[in-house]
Amino acid sequence: MSERRPEDEAWAATDRDAGPRSARGAGGPPRQHDGEASAPASHHSVAGDIAASPRARDDRAPLVVVRDLARDYPMGAEPVHALRGVSFDIDRGDYCAIVGPSGCGKSTLLNLLGVIDRPSRGTITIAGRESARMRDAEATAFRLHTIGFVFQRFYLMPALTALENVELPMAEAGRGRRERLARARALLDYVGLGARGGHRPAQLSGGEQQRVAIARALANEPALLLADEPTGELDARTGREIIDLFARLNADGTTIVVVTHDEQLARAARRVIHMRDGIVVDDRRADAGPLEHAP
Amino acid sequence: MGEGRDQRVLSRALLLLGALLLASGAPLRSASAQRLDTLTSAPRREIAIDERLATDAGLRIGDLVTVAQEPGGRGDTVRIAALVQRRADPSEIARGEYRVHLHLDQLQQLLRYGDRVDRFAVATRDGAAAAESAMEAINDAAFGFRAHRSRDIAVETSTTFAVVSRFHRAIGVITVVASAIFLLCIMLLKIDERRRDVAALRLMGISARSVMRSVMLEAAFVAAAGSALGVAIGAAASAIVNWYYRGVYRTPLAFALVTADTLVLAVSLSIALGLVAGFVAARRLLRVPPLALFGR
Amino acid sequence: MILTLALRTLARHRVRTLLAVAGVAVSAAMLLDMVMLSSGMRQSFRALLVEQGFQLRLAPRGTLPFDTEATMADASATVARLRARPEVERVSAVLGSQLHVARPGSAAGEGTVTAFAIGIDPRVQGDYELLDGRDADTAAARADAPVHVVFSDGLLAATGARLGDTVQVAVGHDPQLRAFAGQRRAIVSGRARFRFLAEGQRAAAIALPALQAMRGTDGHDRASVIMVRTRAGADVEALRQWVDRAVPQATAISTELAMRQVDERLSYFRQLAFILGSVSLVVGFLLVTTLVTVSVNERVGEIAVLRAIGVARRRVVWQILLESVAIMIAGAALGLLLGLVTARYLNGILADFPGLPAAIDFFLFQPRAAWTALGLLVAAGVLAGIYPSWRGASLPIARTLRQEAVG
Repeated sequence: MSERRPEDEAWAATDRDAGPRSARGAGGPPRQHDGEASAPASHHSVAGDIAASPRARDDRAPLVVVRDLARDYPMGAEPVHALRGVSFDIDRGDYCAIVGPSGCGKSTLLNLLGVIDRPSRGTITIAGRESARMRDAEATAFRLHTIGFVFQRFYLMPALTALENVELPMAEAGRGRRERLARARALLDYVGLGARGGHRPAQLSGGEQQRVAIARALANEPALLLADEPTGELDARTGREIIDLFARLNADGTTIVVVTHDEQLARAARRVIHMRDGIVVDDRRADAGPLEHAP
Repeated sequence: MGEGRDQRVLSRALLLLGALLLASGAPLRSASAQRLDTLTSAPRREIAIDERLATDAGLRIGDLVTVAQEPGGRGDTVRIAALVQRRADPSEIARGEYRVHLHLDQLQQLLRYGDRVDRFAVATRDGAAAAESAMEAINDAAFGFRAHRSRDIAVETSTTFAVVSRFHRAIGVITVVASAIFLLCIMLLKIDERRRDVAALRLMGISARSVMRSVMLEAAFVAAAGSALGVAIGAAASAIVNWYYRGVYRTPLAFALVTADTLVLAVSLSIALGLVAGFVAARRLLRVPPLALFGR
Repeated sequence: MILTLALRTLARHRVRTLLAVAGVAVSAAMLLDMVMLSSGMRQSFRALLVEQGFQLRLAPRGTLPFDTEATMADASATVARLRARPEVERVSAVLGSQLHVARPGSAAGEGTVTAFAIGIDPRVQGDYELLDGRDADTAAARADAPVHVVFSDGLLAATGARLGDTVQVAVGHDPQLRAFAGQRRAIVSGRARFRFLAEGQRAAAIALPALQAMRGTDGHDRASVIMVRTRAGADVEALRQWVDRAVPQATAISTELAMRQVDERLSYFRQLAFILGSVSLVVGFLLVTTLVTVSVNERVGEIAVLRAIGVARRRVVWQILLESVAIMIAGAALGLLLGLVTARYLNGILADFPGLPAAIDFFLFQPRAAWTALGLLVAAGVLAGIYPSWRGASLPIARTLRQEAVG
């Protein structure tokens, strides 16, 4: 697993849309947030340097561009139109919550953004790459390097320890053992589980498992972090911890899109996209009016 | 019983000479398939040969052949009067020799044996009791030979087949043990696969006993269906084995027999094993709390 | 990482893994045994035939050596003709006979032990290995003088004789007259292992002329088999054909021909071995297919997540295959041990075949054949895992995750 595949090399060479920098990479001062004690340098070395990245500051192009996205499922005589032509952009550093009643298409939308499903119609451009028509190997590599996915049910590998779960995507990307161990430890520190690296998922609480899942999603410095109901399986207090973690991640520069029923999580986001019956019915920033969508 | 009866028994002794000296002692030399010359030749002694020899040597009834004690030696020219089908005798299976039947006196003369035989075979009336008394009488009166029950000789001469039987039994035991392990493994896998169904049933209030009964029923059905299929395959395989080896060894012997006993044993063993495997697998699953089965 | 994941996944389901390994071990053991059986008899029989370097055996025409009681006349002339051939290095004529041995010190006619005797020339014989004492006489000696003979352990035990004892030996028993055609005194001079005889069989070796003389007219200048050793590089087949033409009372059997005869007679075991071996392979294949299929079905969610986080399909397949490879290798290793143990047990059963030479093994371990068989089993296991693992890794990710969330 230590050797890099050709597609990994290609990604490493065209790293212009990288997400949070690696632990040994960019340097930069640790960032402080209001009401928080200053965090150890290791926390910010993981995710905190995006704001300091000259490329990130200068690049104003949207990270995600969705145009007329539709997804139909064949179910008997009549297909089900889970998405009916959705269009929007997501800027770098954005923190979007997609909300709506059950069956409105929000999870479908997230799956399409995560390139784990294919649209029936429309385009998705993420970090300058059209993802809707990617072939399996290309989509897999894209997910590995560009997308970080957090699931409602955590989906950690039960046979691996927390540290190994975080290492897994890095091992797949061909990083050397030492490098990925160091980064995995740093990521676990960042999510507050530095001391629990040797524990298996069965030995962790739900909240802890979700934090490990978030650390795993950040392993390869994705440009975009997607979360499907990240607090769905958690109690209110634990959910609050996750919400805070997302806020910190976003403050450190990570672009986040969450699908949620959780009002608190939706309130914590800076932009809320309301969906109903497969279309976007409202899209507004927390501190502004409705956004205009490109035609 | 008196002397008169003993003598009657003795006098009824039948001399069955079935070419006891093997064909290697009296090799045939075909007189190039000569046909009977009714005008010029004297009546010839007749022999019977086994059908394998007839096939291999291209001989037919009516052909003249020469039988002699040594290859190339002087012998008698005889006519083939009959073809004899091989007996279903396991001891003849792998032996490549041919059997030739001659009249006793002719063979004695050919081999310069005088008035000697290798054995007598005696058939008695009236069954086992008569056989016992005949044996006693013969042993009392005989000079230098003994009478044995045919079945005792059969037991002694079938040591080879006793060994083969033991071997088959050992293979059978190994197969049963292997099958038990396979069945247990597969039952475990299949029942484990349904852990969520089992958990849901338990959470609904269905008792462990009911779940166990349902699993056992399923295991029984699968085992019964498997047994039926196995019996069909076994019967077909047995037929193929017999057809094949009868052709190879040119014998009417049955090599594989599916009897009622073996059927009952095979079916009951496989169903029992299936039930035990299902029980063990189900019990393992039912010991786990239902919520744990859901992975919570 | 993938290897770690595979092994840890196996360790999570300990009982299932152990059972699967046990199942594969049994398959492997059976397969190994059948491979050993299919070639064992043949190899050990060949080894027995070539042990003393005799490439050709003459038997009465139409028979195999010692298959019947037939003998060849004019044995000495045949031996002389053979010795005259430039390609012949050594000729050993052997006469087989039933021998009756009176126990030392027993009264006439009482307590005789029946044994199998071979009349040989000890200088050229290839039928026994002298273990103790001195060899049998080479010549007949005077009829009134005792002849030195060699006994097998079985005969020594049955008669209670010891080396140096004088016994009465006889041939040609007439049960009616209760008399023998020929008898004389013999000194048990040596103890030998008879190569072609069964364990514990009662056997004796005696000078060929002595045995022929004891048999009277029935034995005069006769032999049951004549063994021929050719010089290095000689054309054995050409010699065999010459014998067939020149010695009409004999059939010449080369080692190859003898092997063919053995193959024919023991074809049952080879075919049984083939059938059972194939069945073992198929069962091992089915077991692994079932195991991998169920394992994949149980973990579709896990597999979908691996794919969702960016693990390539072929790596997922490889991870699942590694599990089946690990089971196959562990099972094959255990099966090797189990197979050797069961082979010994089965060999012990078959060794009871009456008249089977003690040197014959039905189950012979040949490393190359064994590794081939076990390698075949491991390969079958891998093949068995490919389809279900590929299928599992190719499931649509989003739909699978949704089903797992709902289920």
